[in-house]
Formats: sequence, C-alpha cells, structure tokens
Amino acid sequence: MMTQPKRYHPAWLLFELYSFIKNTFFFILFLFVLRAGTNSGWILWAKYAFIFFAVWTLIHIVLKWFVQTYQITNQSIILREGVFVKNQRTVPFERIQNNQTSTNFLHRMLGLTSLSLETGTSDAQASVKFTVLSNDEAQQILTAVNHQNTAETEETEEKMEETAYNRTLYFRSTKKDTLKAAFTSLSFLAIFPILAAVYFQIDDFFSLESSAENIFFYFADHLWMLIPLFITAMILSVAIGYVQTVIKYGNYEISADDQRIYIQKGVLSTSSFSIPKKKVQAITIHQSLIKRMLNMAEVKLVSAGKMGDGKQETNSLYPFMAKKEAYRLTNILLPNYQIEENMKRLPRKVLLLKLISPYFGTLIVGAGLFIFQREWIWITGIVFLLGIASRVLDYLFTSYLRHGDFIQTRKGGFSNETFLTRKERVQQIEVRHSWLQRKFNVATLEFSNRSKPVYVSQLADVPKEDVSDFYRWFKQKS
Amino acid sequence: MYLHITEPSRKISSKIIRIWQMTNTIGHTAVLIILGVLLYLSSVYQWAGWIDTALYILVGLMVVSAIFSIFIEPSFLQKSWRYEIDEEFVQLKHGRFNQYHTLIPMEKVEYVTTDQGPFLRRHDLYNVKIGTTTSSHTIPAIYKDEALALRSQIAVFAKVKDTDSEREEEE
Repeated sequence: MMTQPKRYHPAWLLFELYSFIKNTFFFILFLFVLRAGTNSGWILWAKYAFIFFAVWTLIHIVLKWFVQTYQITNQSIILREGVFVKNQRTVPFERIQNNQTSTNFLHRMLGLTSLSLETGTSDAQASVKFTVLSNDEAQQILTAVNHQNTAETEETEEKMEETAYNRTLYFRSTKKDTLKAAFTSLSFLAIFPILAAVYFQIDDFFSLESSAENIFFYFADHLWMLIPLFITAMILSVAIGYVQTVIKYGNYEISADDQRIYIQKGVLSTSSFSIPKKKVQAITIHQSLIKRMLNMAEVKLVSAGKMGDGKQETNSLYPFMAKKEAYRLTNILLPNYQIEENMKRLPRKVLLLKLISPYFGTLIVGAGLFIFQREWIWITGIVFLLGIASRVLDYLFTSYLRHGDFIQTRKGGFSNETFLTRKERVQQIEVRHSWLQRKFNVATLEFSNRSKPVYVSQLADVPKEDVSDFYRWFKQKS
Repeated sequence: MYLHITEPSRKISSKIIRIWQMTNTIGHTAVLIILGVLLYLSSVYQWAGWIDTALYILVGLMVVSAIFSIFIEPSFLQKSWRYEIDEEFVQLKHGRFNQYHTLIPMEKVEYVTTDQGPFLRRHDLYNVKIGTTTSSHTIPAIYKDEALALRSQIAVFAKVKDTDSEREEEE
C-alpha cells in the first residue's frame, strides 16, 4: 500500500485555533476584558503587540496546514512539514513501539480522533502525533502499521491473513466492575472537604454570635441537622464518584490477536492503546494497600515508547481487576510471562545492615537546620524515624526471583510493585558492592529496561551468591 | 574475588592518573576561586550571615574533596579499571571501595564514539564511549590504535548482532 502525500483534515485548523485561544486566554481576558477601557501607556502597546502576534499566528497556522502532509508507504510513514525550513521525517513502521488514540469531546462531536505513534527513541521527535484525523484516516494508518508488524514475521500470505485479524475480546468492564472501581479508587471521598466547607458555611449562617467555646456544644446540639446533610452528601458523593469513574474507566475493553494487544476505555472521551506482543518490554503489577485488602491487582504493560500523559495512560489491564483474573488474563495475552507468587526474601542480617548504613538524609537535614533554623531542629528526629521506618519496610517487602529466562522483583511498603521481565529485554546490568556491604556478604544488583523514562530496577543488599548467579545468568546466552 | 564471576582483564593507560590529577586540580581550583570571590563580595557588601557560614562549609567540603580526588582517587581508579569486549558482551569494572561491574550485551549497543580533550591528546589517548538505549558508559584513556580498533570492533559486533536481536524479538 502506498498513498499520495495527504494534508491533514481541515478541522486541524479549528483545533489549532482552539488551542491558540486556550493558551492565550489569560492575555485576552486581561487585555480585552479587564482592561477593555484602558487605551494608554503600555496596555495599548501590549494590545497592539498581541493583535500582531495573533494575526501572525493565524497566518502561520494556515500556512502550516498547507505545507504539512503525511504519506503512507509500504514500510514507513513520511511526514513533511515546515513553512520556511522544509522538514521531512521518515518513520519506519517496525520502529513503532506502541500506538495510542485519544478522542476528546470535541473530536467526538466532529467524528474525529487523534493518534500518536511512539517510536521510543530518546530525542524530542520520538512520537508521531496526529492531533486531528478522521476516523477513517486513523484506521487506515493503524491498519498499515499493524499490518506491517505482521508482515515482519515473514509468514506466508494466507497464514498472515488468518492470524492478523483474529481479534478476540478478553475483557469488558461491567457495571459491577465500575461500581467496584468507584469504591476502590475512593473517589467518593473527594466530597468530604466540600462537605466540611458547607458545614461551616451553615454554621456561620445559623449562629453568627456563637463563640469559639460553644462550637462543640453547638455541634452536639445540632447533630440532628448533620444527619440528613451527611446522608445527602454521601449519596451525592457516591454519585459523583461513580460518574467520574464511568467517564474514566467505563467501557474498558481488552482484546488481542496473535500479534497485538488492544486496550480501550472511556465514555465521553475515549482513549485506546495498542502494542505488539513482541514489543512488550516488561510487565508491572501494582497493588495499593486497599487493592491488596480487596485482593485486586493492576497489571501494566511496559513499552519502550511513551505511554500517554499522566491520567491518559491506557497501558494497564483493568486497574481494578481481581488479582486471580488479572494473572489469568496476563497469561493468556502474554503466554510467556508467568507471574510467580512465592519470591525470595532478603536474609535477616540485611535488616541490620540497612539500619546501620549512614543516614545521609537525616545528616543533611540536621546540619541544615542546625545552621539556619535551630529552633526547628526537632524535625531531624522525625526525618530519622521516617528513615528507619522506610528501611524496615524496604527490608520487609523487597523480594526477588529468577526463574528460567525471567527476573521478577518486588518492592514497596504500604503499596507494592512487582516487576517482571525477560533476559533479552534487559538492556544492561550493573552489580556493585560497597565496603560495608562486603562485610555482610551482600551486593547491589541493578538492571535497566527500555521504557520512557528508562526503567531501572535496583535490588540492594542481595546475598553475593545470588548476585554472582544473576551476573552469570545474564552472561549466558539463552 | 568477592563475586564469583569472570572479571574483565584489560587495563587502561596509567598516564590517566596524571591527567585526572591535573583536570581535578583545575576543576577544584576554579570552584575554590569562585567561592573565594563570593566570600570577598559577601564581606564587602555585608551579605546575610548564613551565606558566609554556607560558603565556609562549601570551602571546607571542597578542600576535603580536592584532597581525595587529586591525591587519592586517580590512582585507585586507574588501578581498578578493567574492561573486556568480546563478540557478545561489553564488560566493565571499576572502583575499589565501591566496586562496580557493568555488563552490556553487544546487541543492545546503540553507538560507539571516541573523544579526546587537550590533555588526552597530548598523550595520544582516547575515551571510548559506549551507548545503549538506556545509558552510556565511558572507558577512559585507551591508546589511539587500540581505541580506534575497539571502536570499529564494537561497531562490527553490534552490527552483526543486530539481525539477531530482531529475530529474537519475534520470538
């Protein structure tokens, strides 16, 4: 397949205009609303400058639209842009680590979507972003990208067709899931600060003269008033929390074919994520305290490319899935990743080592406070206690396991994270040992995986025999 | 041997000790001069008292660090540096008190560069920098012929392995 260079959808202009207005909103508000009547001094100059800037930007947007094109070829996508300085980028499909679409409300209304292809290189142009595409165009690009990744395996034509479109749905979130998600994410608690504010408002209103001493009595006397208020607030907050969760995690779907995994989610604004199975660098399993109590786990796929901006992250198998279910699904999607539950703990003597290693943080805070704020020196004590607590937690929850070609590590305290990767996905390893560690016959082991940013797993104070084994294991060809 | 692993064996040039001593001297002197200027300005313009204290502490730290990194560290570092490059791995080791061992599979090597500053040039030495997708590592002070040979050797090995890694990715 080879297409002609193609301009972006005309709605691109609209989106650029929208983002321009959004970015300069405060200038416009200040210059043309708040200071609308002022036409003197620097305000006037600022207005002229802004108008000049705005006109220039609008012209530039239009020119940009005229010159920038994309073209799909057999192996790659070619992007041309630049009004004055021409620029051409060729992105080979096989370098694309994952792709994501995100459709916001505006997109949805116009039948559009946005797409980004992540290459995972380290420069600023690591991702190819299409901010506005029609659904058909997006589908066309995705088909080209996905198809290419299939062809890469050099299978025969028929077999390829057989496998490539054999997409199965493995998970779809139900109402029950969403309800569970709403409670687990504690989104209903968000209302409590608002509740408190409302309470004090009413309190002000009903007893303007009440002084600080009788607030408590007032509280006790008006308890009856709090009950309906509390109930209403609870209902309201649960409702708000539920709606929030629906918008964010509703319609969660996980599907896969032989080559790729597809995840999509969202109600009003939707986003999707797709990664070739062979480009999964590792998986992580997150368990917050509450998820651990409810026996849930969040399995995330680690890709070498960028994985969305913050809350837009769609690389996790449903975050509120029962642990057993999550593990089962992981096994289906990535048959060669096996999560092991029983891992090796650090030997007991390591706790002593961890406790007697120098407390640099405490030292720095102490010295700083001693010099600058001597009356706050007690803070050092708190930092010291926190230091001890984190070391004990670190000792208690660090565990590791090497089985076959896999290395699995777990770290954490109240919430924990398990990391699982294969030998050939590890980019490099480092082992090191300090004088103190040598006295305890332990060493630190560190390995890096591709991800954005780079994922460095560190296991401190592992028995030296295990570290040596790890080093030799890595050096041995699989 | 603390860890039971095959350690790399090739050494780096001993001339690097003098070079490190020289560059560290220059660096520390520069910082001390800047601190001195700040102290002078502070006394002339009557800056806040804590600035003086902080500056004196920094001077103290710098002096200690200078003694360490000019008279102690270079020779230890040079003596402990080892590297080994074969078809499959780049292996590095350095450090005495804190010992570091790094192991990079050849197929993960993304680039190799050689560079030399004025001090290295005088002794015809090169630094060889090996970069992976996740970080980069420098082997300091290798003689020119060896450095250039190493560079092309790594390039050849990495190139050869590249096809391998793609096959591997397909699983």
